[in-house]
Amino acid sequence: MQYALLLLFLVLAAVIALVFIIVYLSSAKSDDELKGMANPLQKRFWFLLILFVCLGIFAFITIPRSPYYLFAKEQPAKVVHVAAGQFFFTMSYKAINPDKPEGEMTIELPVNQLVEFRVTSLDVNHGFAIYSPSKQIVAQTQAMPGYVNVLRWKFKEPGTYTVHCLEYCGMAHQVMQTTFTVK
Amino acid sequence: MEAKGIKKNTAIWILAVLVLFVLSIILGIIMRLNQGGAVHLEPGTFYADMTVHGITMIGIWFVAGMAGVNFIMERYVKTSYWANTFALVMTVIGVVMLWVSTLIGDFHAGWTFLYPLPFKIAWSAWATPMFLWALAVLGVGWLVWVLSLMAALLKKYSISQVFAWQHFRNKNPEVETPPFVLISMVSLLGVLTCLIAAVVLLVLLFAEYYSHGTFVNDALLIKNLTYFFGHTIANEMLYLGLAIIYELFPEISGRPKWKTTWYVAIAWNLTLFFVLLAFFHHLYMDFVQPQGLQIVGQLASYLASLPSAGVTVFSVIVAVYRTKIKWSLSNLLFFIGIAGWVIGGVGAVIDATISNNFLLHNTLWVPAHFHSYNAMGNVLFSLGFFHWFSVEYSKRKGQERLSSLKLSFLLLGGIGFLAAFYVAGAESIPRRYSSYPVEFTSAKLLATLGAVFATVYLIAILLFFSSIFKRCLNMVLQRS
Repeated sequence: MQYALLLLFLVLAAVIALVFIIVYLSSAKSDDELKGMANPLQKRFWFLLILFVCLGIFAFITIPRSPYYLFAKEQPAKVVHVAAGQFFFTMSYKAINPDKPEGEMTIELPVNQLVEFRVTSLDVNHGFAIYSPSKQIVAQTQAMPGYVNVLRWKFKEPGTYTVHCLEYCGMAHQVMQTTFTVK
Repeated sequence: MEAKGIKKNTAIWILAVLVLFVLSIILGIIMRLNQGGAVHLEPGTFYADMTVHGITMIGIWFVAGMAGVNFIMERYVKTSYWANTFALVMTVIGVVMLWVSTLIGDFHAGWTFLYPLPFKIAWSAWATPMFLWALAVLGVGWLVWVLSLMAALLKKYSISQVFAWQHFRNKNPEVETPPFVLISMVSLLGVLTCLIAAVVLLVLLFAEYYSHGTFVNDALLIKNLTYFFGHTIANEMLYLGLAIIYELFPEISGRPKWKTTWYVAIAWNLTLFFVLLAFFHHLYMDFVQPQGLQIVGQLASYLASLPSAGVTVFSVIVAVYRTKIKWSLSNLLFFIGIAGWVIGGVGAVIDATISNNFLLHNTLWVPAHFHSYNAMGNVLFSLGFFHWFSVEYSKRKGQERLSSLKLSFLLLGGIGFLAAFYVAGAESIPRRYSSYPVEFTSAKLLATLGAVFATVYLIAILLFFSSIFKRCLNMVLQRS
């Protein structure tokens, strides 16, 4: 999906660059006679209308796919509690005591079944980004002190997933990670 | 005396911005080299470097926009030399405090100083209050400056005139609001709003700091306030640059002055409103934020960019297409800058879509898009102004040399540097990592490539720097 977004961006960036180059060249070639653009007001109207409609369609398609609505009506097969701290993740099938955070040594999750992560922080803001075995983000949420963010996801591919902290949290932010297995 | 004073102050602002810009680019290159493994910094040093790079870049391009707007505003209304000077003094004091707190005190909570990280002290204990007081000093200086410019406009224009509301219905109103005045006022009001949010934010942070934990803040509220301030000021500084373009692009190009029409007036009034709601996109991954605000964030992010970008891009295209233009370095910089701004805007709109942000949030896609509309957009707007100002008002006119070389280096360096960020974002490589875990196989190579291209960009900036710097320094040193 990320590469599709990169491709979309590159195509749009190339079109914009091309338009600016064509407009610049049309000016550089222009003689003293001022020709300009015919019916600029009409073209501006259509330009803005097309932009507005495109963004409207984009919003209409994407908003229902927001993570808040994913699997909202289903019951999770597994619940995992996550407490993030400088610079570790504690993960447990049971609720975690913030004064004595203890988690499981290994976490195993079922493939193609709904998993619910209940994510909080014991100190500062952290990120909870789940990377697939091929090192692409598949899902993420934030870990915020005083709040529990609920993330629901179905893992389609078995293997070892890595969690990285994606909110800058201090000196060892770059090494804050953990793993779990999907079978 | 005051008009001359503003001119001299503008030259000082330009000198200060250029020096700090070069230093901050060097800090940025060092960060990319460290991520690439070519140099080795301790993580704390890297993050202090990252903090000072971010806050300095935001600060200098904000004041560059303000200085340019203040200088051009003198064409329409009388502005306050003293407010301008006060802001200059406070900015110098604030920047020195920021650099001392980060580079000596080792404060490294990031330029967004996201609560409660500044209070988890892993640096000199004095550095946290010094960083926060530095922001207060900057805030006071900028607040006074913004209020004085708004007051200057409101002395001449009524509220409805300054926002061009008379243009909504009447094609030829008695009082015409110049686009420069409209966009300046829209931007200044936005800046005022986010500075007020910064005051509330700082008061809350100081309350917790000085109560020694008796008073504890709410992390979600503080995050909302932080991004309301941080996102909005980063957006408004772009609009300050656009105000200058609306005034100078036609003038430098030898074309008739642009006029405010009903659609320009509506577009900028809509922008004023929607830009204040766009910051919610920074909290998409905080699922506890009310869902209605998340949707507002996505729609406002679209609607804030659509009218202003649509109208501005079209105005520039109409002004240039098949029209003989007096091209110079300044209007070329404006023209390329508009393209860079729009391309960065596309990257931003992709990221401001919640379902995409789920995959891109806090990856290198984020610095990719904001560096696009800053390094290849806003910086070019201001460089165009700096160049125009230094040539127009300097006694050392001379012929502009190496224009093609400067622009070629700027484009090559800028595009290469940004491409490394975008590809890394698509590869899910995290932002704000001092070094990368080995499993991110392409991260080091991309960081090194980014550093190489950023160095090419730096060479272009140094070429600009030398000519603009000499002329502005001459202006500052000459007796009035």
